[in-house]
Amino acid sequence: MQQLFTKLILTLTLLSVTATTCYGQADLPTPRNHVEDYANVINDADERLLNGVLKELEQKTGAQYIILTVLSTGGMPIEQFSIELAEKWKLGVKGKDNGMLFVLAKNDRRWRFEVGYGLEGFITDQYCSRIGRDVLVPYLRKGDYSSGIYESNLRIVQRIATDAGVSLTGMPKITPVPVRDRRRGLPCCSALPVLIFMLLIFGGAGRGMGWWFFLPFMMGGFGGHGGYGRSGSFGGGSFGGGFGGFGGGMGGGFGGGGASGGW
Amino acid sequence: MRNFGKTWVILIAILIVILLIGLGIFRWYVSGYNKAVNLKEGADKAWADIDSALQRRLDLIPNLVSTVKGYAEHEKELFENIAKSREKYFQAGDNRAGKIEASNQLSGFLSRLLMLQERYPDLKANQGFLDLQSQLEGTENRINVARTRYNEAARLLNSYTKQFFGSFFCRKAGVEPVEYFEATEQAKTEVPKVEF
Repeated sequence: MQQLFTKLILTLTLLSVTATTCYGQADLPTPRNHVEDYANVINDADERLLNGVLKELEQKTGAQYIILTVLSTGGMPIEQFSIELAEKWKLGVKGKDNGMLFVLAKNDRRWRFEVGYGLEGFITDQYCSRIGRDVLVPYLRKGDYSSGIYESNLRIVQRIATDAGVSLTGMPKITPVPVRDRRRGLPCCSALPVLIFMLLIFGGAGRGMGWWFFLPFMMGGFGGHGGYGRSGSFGGGSFGGGFGGFGGGMGGGFGGGGASGGW
Repeated sequence: MRNFGKTWVILIAILIVILLIGLGIFRWYVSGYNKAVNLKEGADKAWADIDSALQRRLDLIPNLVSTVKGYAEHEKELFENIAKSREKYFQAGDNRAGKIEASNQLSGFLSRLLMLQERYPDLKANQGFLDLQSQLEGTENRINVARTRYNEAARLLNSYTKQFFGSFFCRKAGVEPVEYFEATEQAKTEVPKVEF
């Protein structure tokens, strides 16, 4: 009996050792909505709008675009985390491979755009990197996660829709894609006009709530690595607003295209 | 006469049993053989993905090097090393082990090339460099993904070649174990930095 017990313990230790050495696996349930805000950084209005636009994108082009925020990837590089989830969820339609996954790990301070095979042609690594650098990161540095996620992802959504030749009715007006030709110049010049424009649009009356609204969200949740961000509260109550949710992946393939970075 | 009929029935029954067993063995043989072939195909396809990602990286190098050269002229040794391991990759031809070795070397040199931006701040401000860097990072990530998939396919194939019946079928199908694509120690330790 005792022998059995020691054996059991030995196996368990061995198992846990192997589990920690290979990082463990990215394991989150298949999203129920296009926006899965586990880190609770996206405000309700943005989340509803993004859910609506992403749902419409899927209906019109078949492209499955998921926005995911977590507190931490659990020590795993975000590139590995996102490709494992994208593969597991099989985002995009089989054969068209038009899946797309955005991941933001709040406490790790890392972001990533994961691009399906079929979208790589026009959502290039370089494009994702620029969107990340020029649109997303400036907001993240200010602590305005919601606007950063909103602005950067809508641009990519717009590009996918444009390439498919459809227009999205739920799409709010955003500035055209800020990617310029390969010219030399100060890096700030590309972001500045965009930022000013955004400030003009969203700074005042456009959004009922100022950035201070997010302050409580920003203050909370910095308590170190909390697993995969299962921090109790799962975002705001209203999801999607009558649009229905995400119906599950359709077998799309990913090859590691996209870009990632920190802030 | 009745006895005679009974013998026939028994004979036919035995014949059917033998036929069924034969059919079973045949199907078992075919599936075992096909498994060897399929595993080989899987590993080859995964390798082709690595190959195209590696090729993509090689295509980026001339542009990247010439951009960096403008800012860091006296890093000659590094540029030479990059050119050498690039050459080595092409010379390896269809030899997987050679290609793996050359590209692991190249990974090390390229990460050093990217690190130059810490020493030459002007480089960091160059939009062309940043774009090339993001392309290179994307390609490195593709290589990583392809490598994980290839190693998984290689693991399945290699363990089949070692199995009791598997080794038999692999010999029959002329399938041999393949090389794993191990990342270098240097590449392994280079997990993205977390800044706080």
